[in-house]
Amino acid sequence: MSTASLPLDPYADAPGASPVRFLHRLNPLAKLLGPAPAMVVLVFVRDVATPVAFLVLAYAIVLVGARMTARLASMLVLIPVLAAAMGLGFALWTDPAHVADTVPLLRLGDWTLSRGALWTGIATGLRLAAIIALALIAGITTTGPDLARSLVQQLRVPYRIGYTAIAAFRFVPRFRRELEIIRQAHRVRAAGHLRGPIAAVGRSVGSVVPLLAGAIRHAERVALAMDARAFGAYPDRTERHPVPFRTRDTVFVILLSAASAVLFWVFFPWGL
Amino acid sequence: MPAPAALSTRVLLVCAAIGVASGILGAVAGWITPGVIILAPIVYGFVLGAHVIPGIIAQETLRMPWVALLAHVLAALVASAMAPQWAGRFLGTALLFGGIQELVAAVTRYRVWRAWRFFISAVVIGVLVAVVVGLVVNLTALPLWAQIAYLVCAVLGPVAWTGIGLAVGAALRQAGVGRRAIPR
Amino acid sequence: MVDTPLLRVHDLAVRHDGEELFTPAGASFQVRRGEVVLLLGPSGSGKSTLALALNGLIPQAVPAEVQGSVSVMGLDAASTPVAQLSTRVGMVFQDPDAQLVTGTVLDEVAFGPENLRLPVAEVLGRTETALRRVGLWDRRAENPDALSGGGRQRLAIAAALALGSPVLVLDEPTANLDPQGVEEVYAALADIVASGDRAVVLVEHNLDQAVGFVDRVVVLDAAGRTIADGPAGDILRTRAAELQELGVWLPTSTLAALKLRRAGYPLDPLPLTPAELRAALEAAPAPAAPAPAAAERRGFGRAEDVAPAAALVSAASPRLGGAPLIAVRGLTLRRGRAEVLHDVSLDVRAGEFVAIVGANGAGKTSLLHAIAGIGRPPRGTVRIGGDDITRLRPAEIASRIGFVFQNPEHQFVAHTVRDELAYGLAHAPDADARVADILDRFGLAARADVHPFLLSGGQKRRLSVGTALIAGAPVLALDEPTFGQDRARADELLELLAALNADGTTVLVVTHDMQLVTEYAMRTIVLAEGRVVADAPTADVFADGDLVAAAGLRVPPLCDALRGLTRHPELEGIARLAELPAGPPSAAGAPA
Ligand SMILES: Nc1ncnc2c1ncn2[C@@H]1O[C@H](COP(=O)(O)OP(=O)(O)OP(=O)(O)O)[C@@H](O)[C@H]1O
Ligand SMILES: Nc1ncnc2c1ncn2[C@@H]1O[C@H](COP(=O)(O)OP(=O)(O)OP(=O)(O)O)[C@@H](O)[C@H]1O
Ligand SMILES: [Mg+2]
Ligand SMILES: [Mg+2]
Repeated sequence: MSTASLPLDPYADAPGASPVRFLHRLNPLAKLLGPAPAMVVLVFVRDVATPVAFLVLAYAIVLVGARMTARLASMLVLIPVLAAAMGLGFALWTDPAHVADTVPLLRLGDWTLSRGALWTGIATGLRLAAIIALALIAGITTTGPDLARSLVQQLRVPYRIGYTAIAAFRFVPRFRRELEIIRQAHRVRAAGHLRGPIAAVGRSVGSVVPLLAGAIRHAERVALAMDARAFGAYPDRTERHPVPFRTRDTVFVILLSAASAVLFWVFFPWGL
Repeated sequence: MPAPAALSTRVLLVCAAIGVASGILGAVAGWITPGVIILAPIVYGFVLGAHVIPGIIAQETLRMPWVALLAHVLAALVASAMAPQWAGRFLGTALLFGGIQELVAAVTRYRVWRAWRFFISAVVIGVLVAVVVGLVVNLTALPLWAQIAYLVCAVLGPVAWTGIGLAVGAALRQAGVGRRAIPR
Repeated sequence: MVDTPLLRVHDLAVRHDGEELFTPAGASFQVRRGEVVLLLGPSGSGKSTLALALNGLIPQAVPAEVQGSVSVMGLDAASTPVAQLSTRVGMVFQDPDAQLVTGTVLDEVAFGPENLRLPVAEVLGRTETALRRVGLWDRRAENPDALSGGGRQRLAIAAALALGSPVLVLDEPTANLDPQGVEEVYAALADIVASGDRAVVLVEHNLDQAVGFVDRVVVLDAAGRTIADGPAGDILRTRAAELQELGVWLPTSTLAALKLRRAGYPLDPLPLTPAELRAALEAAPAPAAPAPAAAERRGFGRAEDVAPAAALVSAASPRLGGAPLIAVRGLTLRRGRAEVLHDVSLDVRAGEFVAIVGANGAGKTSLLHAIAGIGRPPRGTVRIGGDDITRLRPAEIASRIGFVFQNPEHQFVAHTVRDELAYGLAHAPDADARVADILDRFGLAARADVHPFLLSGGQKRRLSVGTALIAGAPVLALDEPTFGQDRARADELLELLAALNADGTTVLVVTHDMQLVTEYAMRTIVLAEGRVVADAPTADVFADGDLVAAAGLRVPPLCDALRGLTRHPELEGIARLAELPAGPPSAAGAPA
């Protein structure tokens, strides 16, 4: 969402954090694995209390375990706002006939917003918010290269794929700038041609081919440079940045899964 | 001494480039997603369908095993580095979409590259997306017509985007990209 | 040590998949320990292809048919895995950005040794040694993006050194760099060569810097056969005319000397560097007969009297009359978070030929874009023909200024060359005739129905210029028109611009080639860190050596050689090859 546009150095090391900020010291996979069961089960939940509980849990973990940055703060504010907006949106779309409590709250001509519809909408919004907040646990405290490395080191993903991803982080700013230039070039060229939104769509389709053609050529050159430096020579390579999976990672996964299980048990049957 | 690699570095990096470039083009989809969910959840499936693009272009330009899945996974890894909060979602979607495209191609033994084959994977993806998203947004609470419209959108989305991906792939080939044989 | 060759190339012929011809088509040479070999040949003769064959990338990573053999310290390059050859032959390519893999300078150099599975301590040891040799050790923790172009290319050299290979192959390592970057790269290379433990194979068009430390020259002809192989001095001096004929570019000082020889100055042996030219001239007596004046004044095309060149150039610009055609006032521009132009003001008058120069990242492209209304400059800062550019419709801008983007592929919108040209004409009644005319003039008629992306580099550039020209705009703005081109093509293009300029078209170019600037531009604008630091007739700008150096630029070689010459006052201060006294009429027309 909005934060995706912040300039970010994907290679930057996680800055040193105080010991309390434990999330930065965990293996990326542990942070993906721990919240995963809760995220999956939340998909099926229909009440309001369960997602709220998980929202609180996720916020607690992130607030304690992650270094506070402007980026994190804005995420934490944005999630509830989006949840509210989505909840309202769904409420408008919900068919009052399908919900139990049809006490009308608002009437505009033919159309009524019932309390049940609003309740369903809010539940949906909160559910999405809880899922997103749980994803933050891994997202906000993991660097791209570390994720790639842990996929290689723990999940045995071939290192050539992991390092291709690391090399490809460099493509992003380059291709973005290329796209900007291509768009401008085509706008200049399009003078005298059709204007308006449909022509604009046509032009952006027209910028796809030059962008991709340039991207593929660039990738081929990078591949040559990597081959020339013995990339893929052996089934493994020296790793100067180990990303181990330690006892603390196992403990984190077990604790978080246990906490999720307890919450689901307490709130059963989740409004089904 | 070296173990023969199944996929050359060139193929890996070209897949990454296709993934990243489609991701940049598709950034628009990311931006409008919240708005779509709020204002018109039933067309969300259509927007989500845009995510089929990397696999289609990779298969259409390289025409070999694994490239669809690779393009998706590499794009997801890069995207995760840029917007880490969505890492799980990126990887999940990539494995799902890429996996289906790869499976359908594998069933035809990577020999049939005609358009209908691509559209089969599009329909499969559409149905799966419809089910998953339907669960998340509590589809059953919507009026019947909205449910049907939603399903149609969710299936049409990947199909339409697959068509666009094929057109781009064809244009690329016309421009001389990927026309060379791939080593190994 | 037994003097066995490190590299032995025997009758090598390579045909890329999908191509008809073998290029190279029979290259043979050897490289011994400690040698620096310069590989010359016209564009398309297969130098880059040959370079890739030296460590097995061709045919192992790039599909191609290979005949003949390359042997690297006794190993056959076509069949020994590239990874194994990588410890014997290190590669440095043209685009520094296409060689970066990791996120810090240190990791980048460690990447190769890590792939070789060396223990961590040795990886770090090699990395440190390599980084110290290119002077980047202090910057090891930085993201390579923070380095200058020259810095990134030195990083690529360090990455190749760290693999420990006794041979280093560099394919046009300085093509994208500003003059200071070029100098940095060659200083680092000279340093490596001086220690005597590495052999270097260098492919390079711009010989002015390289010629200083090259031992041997191998020349390929247009078909890609070795036609000369010997000590650099011998080949460049004794076969200069033949090489020039081939389309191989010679050092500017050698070209100047060839011309001066025809004018009667006894210069033997031919000089290769500015210092040699200067020394040779100081030692040479004046020509027997008074030298006739230069027959042609390229880039201006106006009748000009016989007078010292510098004065001509400085006299040329301010006289052009009337209100400025383009007026930039207080232009401050932001890109992303940074301010890339600060309070820039300048005028361009109708009929001028203006060059914009500066180091990488100085803001040249940003300025040129603003002048052409690309990316919307702030209101009131750019006027063209008196009108604020932000108030003009795109069609009106296009009819006043033709723009050529740095990378031609960015601006192609159609599927054939012909449609590409016709695109800008929309509904003009004489569109067909004008397209045919441009196709003819640019030598593209035979390729009219080809997809623009399938053209060669030089053809793409000509097409992009053609699309800018076809609308008949009175101003032409070109961003690095010589980027990625060899000198022969660059020259061809500039001749064309000079002719257009002579017919009244106003021309603005951005370029890193200082000799080219001096040859063609009446006026030069120097940008440094987003500010205009000089805006004067070209000769005046280059007369101020300190300013030029401070802006990351260098005085062009001819100017450097002839400045302050004492023995031949008639040559003192000449900066353009075209202004050197011409020889007998029969030889005067030879291209410079
Ligand atoms: N990857 C490729 N696929 C197909 N053909 C190629 C490829 N690379 C080069 N060629 C062709 O091989 C020939 C030789 O090209 P090469 O790039 O080696 O020339 P060069 O001497 O390096 O030229 P320049 O001085 O312009 O760099 C050209 O005709 C070119 O079109
Ligand atoms: N879209 C952009 N976003 C952020 N920064 C930018 C953007 N475009 C340019 N810049 C920065 O602005 C500065 C000037 O860029 P510009 O391209 O104008 O330089 P230049 O003089 O043309 O350099 P070069 O010789 O390398 O082409 C550079 O530091 C560049 O990194
Ligand atoms: Mg070349
Ligand atoms: Mg530029």
